[in-house]
Formats: sequence, C-alpha cells, structure tokens
Amino acid sequence: MKRQLKIFVITALCLALAITLSFIGCKKEEAAEGGMQVKTYTNAADITIGFSVWTMEFTFFQNLEKGVKDACADLGFKYVMIDQNSDATKMVQDMNALVGQKVSGMVVTPVDPGAIGPAVENARNNGIPVVCADIGKSGPVNALLISNNFKGGELAAEFLDSKIADKTKQLAVGNCLPQWTYARQRGEGFLSKAMELGYPVGANIIVQNPSAEGGYDTMQQILSAVPDVSGVFFVSGREAVGAAQAIQAAGKDIWTVGYNGDPEEFQAIKDGILDATILQEPYFIGYRSVEILKEILMDGKFYENVEVPVDVKLVTPENLDQIAADILEKTGNSAFPAQ
Amino acid sequence: MDDYRSRKTKQKFGVFWGNFGLPLIFIIMFAIFAISTPSFRSTYNFLNNLSFASYVGIAAIGMTFVIMTGNFDISIGSMLSLVAVLGSSFIPKITGVAGVVSTVLIACLLGFLNGIIVTKLRIPAFITTLGMLFVFRALAYIYTNNVPVYISDRFWLYIGNGKLFGVIPFPILLMGICYGVAYLLLRRSPVGRYIIAVGTNSRAAALSGINVDNIKILVFTLLGLFVGISSVINSANLGSANPGLMGQDFEFQVITAVVLGGTALSGGNGSLGGSFIAALIVTFLNNGMGLMQVNSYWQMVATGLVMIFAVSLNKLKFFLLGQGEF
Repeated sequence: MKRQLKIFVITALCLALAITLSFIGCKKEEAAEGGMQVKTYTNAADITIGFSVWTMEFTFFQNLEKGVKDACADLGFKYVMIDQNSDATKMVQDMNALVGQKVSGMVVTPVDPGAIGPAVENARNNGIPVVCADIGKSGPVNALLISNNFKGGELAAEFLDSKIADKTKQLAVGNCLPQWTYARQRGEGFLSKAMELGYPVGANIIVQNPSAEGGYDTMQQILSAVPDVSGVFFVSGREAVGAAQAIQAAGKDIWTVGYNGDPEEFQAIKDGILDATILQEPYFIGYRSVEILKEILMDGKFYENVEVPVDVKLVTPENLDQIAADILEKTGNSAFPAQ
Repeated sequence: MDDYRSRKTKQKFGVFWGNFGLPLIFIIMFAIFAISTPSFRSTYNFLNNLSFASYVGIAAIGMTFVIMTGNFDISIGSMLSLVAVLGSSFIPKITGVAGVVSTVLIACLLGFLNGIIVTKLRIPAFITTLGMLFVFRALAYIYTNNVPVYISDRFWLYIGNGKLFGVIPFPILLMGICYGVAYLLLRRSPVGRYIIAVGTNSRAAALSGINVDNIKILVFTLLGLFVGISSVINSANLGSANPGLMGQDFEFQVITAVVLGGTALSGGNGSLGGSFIAALIVTFLNNGMGLMQVNSYWQMVATGLVMIFAVSLNKLKFFLLGQGEF
C-alpha cells in the first residue's frame, strides 16, 4: 500500500508540473498569434463549406439550410452539414469536428449564441473563417447576418397604429428571454415606435417557455394585467399563434402581430386568427452567408465582426398569397404547414 | 460430463464477453465509421470526441457508484447548470482557480444534501432527486435572472479547451485521473468494498457493521464531485454558463452510459471500465453519424437501437454465466 501511495504521489506531482507548464505555454502561444490568417483559393472546387445548424425541425432552419446548400451548389463548393439537435454541447463538438474535417469556411446558426465563443476561436485559429447566419454571436466572428429586428418591431407598431388609429388604446408586448440579444431588438423597435406614435404600452412580459403554449400563457397574463388591451406584438412566431388562440378562447377582439413568418403563422393569418407577421428571409440569410465566405476565401475581401442587416417584410392577409408564392418559388417549400 | 463441459465453455465465453463485449462493440462501430467516413479516422477527430466524452464520462463515475448502491440521481443535469452559473459568477471576485474549486465544492454540497434527504428523511432517491431537479434548475434561473454568465477566465477555459503540450486535450487527462482515482477507491480500498456490499444486500452490510447511510451519503457526495468537474469542463467548452440550456438531458446521457456499461440498476454489480467505454460509444456514435450526414431523426433511432442491442448483449453475459435467463 505504501509503494502504491508513493507511485500515486509521484504521478500526481509529474502531472501537476506538466499541466502548469502546458498552461503557461498555452498563454504565451495565444498572445503571440494575434489575428487570423485565411487561406485564399483560386479553384472553387477546392472549397468545402461546413454548416452547423440549430435544428432541422423547423421550416425556418430548413429554408436557411436550403439557402446555404443552393449557394454552395451555385458557386461550385463542396458542402457538409451537421445538425446541432438543439444541443449547445453538440454544437461545440460539431464545430470542432468541422475544423477536424479541414473545411475551408464555416456557417453557423447557433442554438446558444453565448456558447460559440471557444469553438469559433478554435476555427479561426485554424484559419477557418466563420459566418453566423442569424440568431447572434459571442466574441469575434468574420460576419453576422441578422434580420433588421429593430425595423421589424417598428413595422409591427406601425401596422397596429394603422388598424387601431386611437392613441388612447393600450398596446402590449410578448417579449423574448434576455439572452436573445438580437431578437430583443424586435421588442425595442416596437416600444420605440409605439412611444413615438404616442401609444401607451401596458405590459411587456417575457415568454418564459418559448413555444405556442408559452405564448398562450403569456397572453393570459397580459389579459389579466391589461384587460382593455387593443393590440399585441409577440416577438416570435409560434408564441404569437399561441397568443392569438388565447385571445380567441377569451372571446376578445385584439389585433395581434407575430414575428418570423413560420408556417403556423401563415396558416393562422389565412384562418383569420392572427392579423399580421413580420417575415424574415432565412433562405436569403443562408445564401448570402456563403457568398460572404466566397468573398473572403476567393476574393481576399476582409471581414472582421461585420454585422450585415437583412431586410424584413410585413405580411398581412392582403399580401399573404403573393408572399407565399414567392417563398415556394425561391425555396421549394410551402409557406403553409404540410397537410 | 458433456453437460459440465458445455457449461464450462459457456461460462468461459460469458467471462470473455463480460470483459471484452463492450470494447468489441466499440471497436466494430469505430471501424465501420472509419472505413465509411475518412474524416472520422483523423487523430484530431478522435481526440475531439474523447475530449467531449469526458463531459458524460466523468459524471458517469459518480453515477456508477450511486447505482451500485441501488439508488440513482436524476437531478444532475440541473445540478450541473446551477453549480456552473454559481462558480462562474464568482470569478471576478475570487479568480478562476478559486471559482473552479468553489464550483466543485458546491456540487459536493448539493450531492451531500441529496444523500442526507435520501438516508435521513427516508425519501426514495427517485422522488428526492426529481424534486431537486426542479429546485436546482429554478435556483439557477433565479440567481441569473435567466441571463447566461460569460466566462473569459483563461484558467477556467483551459480546463475544457486547453491542450497538454499542445496535443492532448486537457479534459482527456482529467478524465484519466478521475477514472484512476475512482478505480483505486472502488477496487483497492475498504470503501469500495462497502459500496459493493451495500448495493448487494444492504441489510447484510448493516449487520456486518457497515454504516449503510454514511456510504449512501458518501456516494451521492462523490457524484456531486464528479458532476462539479463535468460542469467546469462543459461550461469551459461553451465559454458560458447558461442556466436554461446547460445540462438538458444530461442525467439520461449519464444513466444510459452507466447502464450500457453493465452496472445493474438493482445495485451491487458495476463496472467503471464499462461506464467509460459506454460513454465513448454514445459520443463516437453521435459524431460518426453526424459526419456520415445521417438525418438527425434517424440518428435518434440508431442510438436507441444500439443501446437496446448493447444491453441485451450484457444480459447474454449473465445468461452464459448461469446468473439469469436470456
């Protein structure tokens, strides 16, 4: 037993020494490296784009993935996709796996934007430029393509103003969790425009459970807090549909606007349950992300922490069919839920 | 005589299968992915997977101890999240090193608390840890107001992302140390024998002078210790501690690894090596299917089927050893 203890203590000391030396060495190495070096290509066929996507469960991400895939096909790049399955740990593992595959550039739609920092750093240390397609980022990336969320919120407020046209009426917001920094801008845009137009906002409640059920619950809270509310804006699509159903169940007549342009929202607008939504363009975001990587990898263009805003549109019963037809033509996916 | 020989042969095969069955499954699975997907067989990918396996693998050590005593803990996912947000939020005040130590100590304390409730209040482990699953997660939300804690401390980040001499990911080394210490504890110390005795027959263990409650409290505390280490690794991998997203389904991944590794849910019988190999199987299977571009829904089907297959092979071992029916 004494001999075993001796061996154990010596091994532990050796390991501690090795770790200390390695930790000190690691710090020095990082300090010396500085910015990232990108390898440029002349032949498109030599380029492989890796795409790590939040989930393929929702149409929004399916359209985004189609944009990335189509752009790779059009530009002659090879394409690899890994599904994060809505798991932040798997996202980091997958991004590191893409580095191991020696992809030329990476597009990421992160399930947890706060958790991509070390994985992006690893990719960029290996000379792989990273573009975030929607959601957000933490730490430096080459580019982030994100919908103009502030403008989307403003559009929602303007729509409610056009329908209510009485500045004494109360408005309310079903907001998102604080960590969704970029999605929060939807609420900020709405509040700013509502204030500018002179509307009181009686409730601004966070949807704690991001789902249709969460939207339903939050709408009930809004109805309790502001019983005479005339218009509500929910900053995400499924939540807005849930809220619209809560309004219907309560037998109230309240103007409701959602955000995203999810198939459930399109159907709800068609059915007269939801009044409008702000449409994001996931296909364009995916396509443009690859174009930016092409500019970095083939044209030598410099991108460092560049935020690229993507335009949003208001969808109402009047333009619903036209926009649905455009989406079908562009993505091959119906804007409505599969029957 | 023939009957005796055939029983002997069966037993020998049973012993062989018990020792090498799971590693064999891992090797076959590894070979299939390596042949079909060139990028899978790179050293980088191997080390990356091994590093990520540590997140489940280290907690599986503690869960093996707990399950060996005939209990289990389903609160560890929430515990992982709570201790990560607490420890990482302390960094600005007490530095990264002290933050890591406090994370592990708080996790031990939470494990100890679970153990006390199970043994002293006589509440079944399932009910206790189910309740704690909600309590820990809610405390993490309350403490952070559901805002993630970002981690920039180099020491903390090194634990999940550092490489020893620029080659071996640090979590692999940490996992090796944890398994080494756990092996010594289980197989070379009286405590290990007490754990096995309590799991095999707690009444007989009590009658032979073992303090059963103390052993149960100890294994829950040890589970806390290993969850604390996993928590630091995971939050370092992510560069943040997110109260809502961290540790989701973690308990199922860990319990799956332990059961797949051959530890009996009824207690008494368990294998640290089995838990380790099972953690590797789960991690490499996910990675291999991802690299093969298998649709995520089919990945879930395949993972489930592989697990059922591996557990049924484990039953085969007991059948061959004459310890059960197949």
